[in-house]
Amino acid sequence: MIKIIDSINHSKNLDLLEQMHQLRARVFQGRLGWDVNVVDGKEIDMFDNLDPAHVVSVSTSGEVLGCMRLLQTTGPHMLADVFSSIMDGEPPLRSSTLWEATRFCVDTERLGRGKGRNTISYVTSEIMIGAFEFAMKAGVSDAVAVIDPIMDRVMKRSGNAPYDYLGSATPMGKVTALAALMDCSEERIASIREYSGITHNVFSGTLERFLEDA
Amino acid sequence: MKIIDLSEEEACNENNILFINQLCSNLGLDYATYSTTDRVSGSVQGYANYPEEWKSHYINRGLHLVDPTIHKSALSIAPVDWSRFERDAKYDAVFSAACDFGLPNQGITVPVRGVFGDRGLLSVTTNCSDMEWEKQKTKIMGDLQQAAVHMQDAVMRSDVFARSLSLPNLSAREIEVLQWVAAGKTYQDIGDILSISDRTVEVHLRSSRDKLGALTTVQAVGRAIGMKLIYPL
Repeated sequence: MIKIIDSINHSKNLDLLEQMHQLRARVFQGRLGWDVNVVDGKEIDMFDNLDPAHVVSVSTSGEVLGCMRLLQTTGPHMLADVFSSIMDGEPPLRSSTLWEATRFCVDTERLGRGKGRNTISYVTSEIMIGAFEFAMKAGVSDAVAVIDPIMDRVMKRSGNAPYDYLGSATPMGKVTALAALMDCSEERIASIREYSGITHNVFSGTLERFLEDA
Repeated sequence: MKIIDLSEEEACNENNILFINQLCSNLGLDYATYSTTDRVSGSVQGYANYPEEWKSHYINRGLHLVDPTIHKSALSIAPVDWSRFERDAKYDAVFSAACDFGLPNQGITVPVRGVFGDRGLLSVTTNCSDMEWEKQKTKIMGDLQQAAVHMQDAVMRSDVFARSLSLPNLSAREIEVLQWVAAGKTYQDIGDILSISDRTVEVHLRSSRDKLGALTTVQAVGRAIGMKLIYPL
């Protein structure tokens, strides 16, 4: 199930946020070896203090299985302020209808391979569907995401191939980073749903209702 | 924290009220307001086409200090429907009064963030059933996003200091795309010329429009020529 957690409802979701930052520490510092700031086992950076929205996948027993962070490109965001080398020193895109997705990860220790529920592939697709539906509802038509080649392959395989890339692929620590563009559209959502077999509403209620309660 | 009604200020601001009025009539809305919090003084400044009685009630009671459409919406990256606010005392102070003044029942606030972390809020409101409102929102949300960024640009521009800081910073690719648009090429043509997808061409154009504070591509090309970013052809 997908929850959207932002600075309006964060006080009601402190446990999920804590789990999310712990997961990010395990993935980005532990597994991927990125140069990120981890304090008390939680990975938190300056962009987390700028009121982003988090798309969080939560299991029926309340465990965080994966997450993604969204920011508006009109304001401060990673591609403008941290990953600018990808843009070859060029100023970043800034548009009210373009969101930036960063810190995407899933819990590979808790999730299995294959395609059913509780698999890496299922949770990845669930987060993507949630993020694109949330964006569409907000009138946002495109998303830019900083991803590595592995994520790029995963997306291409799962009915969610980027339609283009910006700037050039740039080495970042142990991996290469790419800025991928995706349309937030019914077609893309349908394609991810077809690949993953997720036909149900990924939110606990309607998105609107869920935002009230969460 | 002071509140400044910019619609009462000098004549150059008439354009903004005109813009708000047009926005309402084009998108089938009753009222709209744009507000931003000044980074230096902390005062809330904005434009609204609400009835005068409501504006003076709002200002006299200092409702901007508790208004959730201002304080909550700025925390979101997505437009915030007013049904999402908690029904607390602050909510009642604004919304029960608004109801007494006969203001519409549905509303949404679109937050915009600027490069310097500044935040602007475009709020719109109308009278209709929940179902009609859902439908209308889906239809107008993209337009509201663009209107919000336009209003923010207009307010930032009225500030001489901010204006000197906010010269449009277009990338080489954005300039290239605008130059080909000025030459009369279609998105498909431009995509082929630059070996990028036509959707990427569109994303670059939307970004340049926002950076140039232009509502249409034609206006963006005009401004870019005026700023000597591209050549007239």
